Amino acid sequence: MKMWTSRTGSNGTTVTNPGTMRPPTIGRSLRPEQVLRPVRPGFIWSTLIGAFLLNLLPWGKDVWVPDFFALTLVFWNVHQPRRVGMGIAFVFGLLMDVHNGTLFGEHALAYTLVSYGAISLHRRIQWFPVLSQTIYVFALLLVAQLASAAIRLWVGGASPGWWLGLLSSVVGAVIWPLLNSFLLAPQRRPAKRDDTRPL
Amino acid sequence: MEYGPPPLFNQGVSARARLAFFSLAAAALIIVDRQVNALDSVRNGVETILYPVQRVLLWPRDLVVDVAGYFQTIGSLNEENEHLRRQMVEQSERAQQADQLQKENDQLRSLAGVKERLAVPSQVVVELYESRDSFSNKIVIDRGSHDGMKPGGPVIDESGVVGQVTRVFPNSSEVTLLTDKEQSLPVQVVRNGLHAVAFGGQERGTLELKFLPANVDVQGGDQVVTSGLDGVYPAGMAVATVTRVDRDLKDQFARVVLKPAAGLSESRLLLVLMTKPPPLPLPEAEQRKPANERPNSKAVRR
Repeated sequence: MKMWTSRTGSNGTTVTNPGTMRPPTIGRSLRPEQVLRPVRPGFIWSTLIGAFLLNLLPWGKDVWVPDFFALTLVFWNVHQPRRVGMGIAFVFGLLMDVHNGTLFGEHALAYTLVSYGAISLHRRIQWFPVLSQTIYVFALLLVAQLASAAIRLWVGGASPGWWLGLLSSVVGAVIWPLLNSFLLAPQRRPAKRDDTRPL
Repeated sequence: MEYGPPPLFNQGVSARARLAFFSLAAAALIIVDRQVNALDSVRNGVETILYPVQRVLLWPRDLVVDVAGYFQTIGSLNEENEHLRRQMVEQSERAQQADQLQKENDQLRSLAGVKERLAVPSQVVVELYESRDSFSNKIVIDRGSHDGMKPGGPVIDESGVVGQVTRVFPNSSEVTLLTDKEQSLPVQVVRNGLHAVAFGGQERGTLELKFLPANVDVQGGDQVVTSGLDGVYPAGMAVATVTRVDRDLKDQFARVVLKPAAGLSESRLLLVLMTKPPPLPLPEAEQRKPANERPNSKAVRR
């Protein structure tokens, strides 16, 4: 189990075993898997910062807007757990707290928990097809929201209609397949440009 | 469940240790930030770095608003113009009356030997964005300590009180809206002069008068204004209108629900009054009459 599941190589440099070599599991047919190219660190950072900037847009009280940063963080924690860890989650969480005027450390704690969940589940999540991964992602995003909700309930008591905000986790999980294909696109490029290649 | 890497590859500190470290750090920060204001300088520093980014990110929204405004039809502009003119005429009458009343009031005050009320300096500010936090009602405005903002200043718009400046950064400030459940202000019912305290309501976008007896003389439609008892909000500014009074006999208090007078989320231009917070009562005076002298202990909450 341990040996067969590391698909992209957790340090992101080489791919040791393409998925076609994996033994078939129960109820899951043998799918051809593409060998991914190594990821560029610049791409990781730019997507994380881009997601953070998306969060900074003046969304107001629109409850459905997903937490783009949490989603991107989960993606890189799952695919590159050696490069994107809890430290990054913590620091960006503090920035988020300053922007939203919430208690210092609230988002930091939430993002740290999400990051831990994603890192400890990363082998299992990668094992599933993208659509099934959304369930895990939904659970992780929910943990983040419930963690900050718990802090707020502890600090100041319930606020009217706070649970409506949990809708953003649903939306976040729904856009996970899109985000997945977008963030994996640079690694799916062919190594050499070839005009005769069909794709 | 443990699928750790083989020990021959050094992976640094384990994930659990990191989790423990960062969670404890976050918890410590939360507790410190809640109890004391020691982290305000850190917050100020971060906000100063973040501020230009935030301003740039407001451009797309402002652009959309501007373009939408550009394509507004002449008809709606005419309508708005008509409405504004009507409002101006109505208000000019009031303004003239106000001048006269002011003079009369000054004379009466000087006759009665009452200290003259000072004009409050004010500053027009623009609402930048609303906090996304679903547990509080806060907005951020575009003036900060560089422009002389101080925490505690009341914020109003053209139709009533909006809230209070609660945190000041170098270039921007946070305003807690009246509808925030941690916000409160002393008010007065116009019809009968009843004093009460308005708190942020249970329902979204409402206020509530608390601790009024079940048989209190308040009806739907009553106007509620600031009473000025706290020394923070000037007296007589429109706050809200009573929409519902529940007199449940099980409770000893009436539940009075109000609708704020200010267009709490629509108006973008606001006015901050730079009132000086009243001096804190002296310790001796506080000991002598502990309850009466501190009506604003909640109103200037940070």
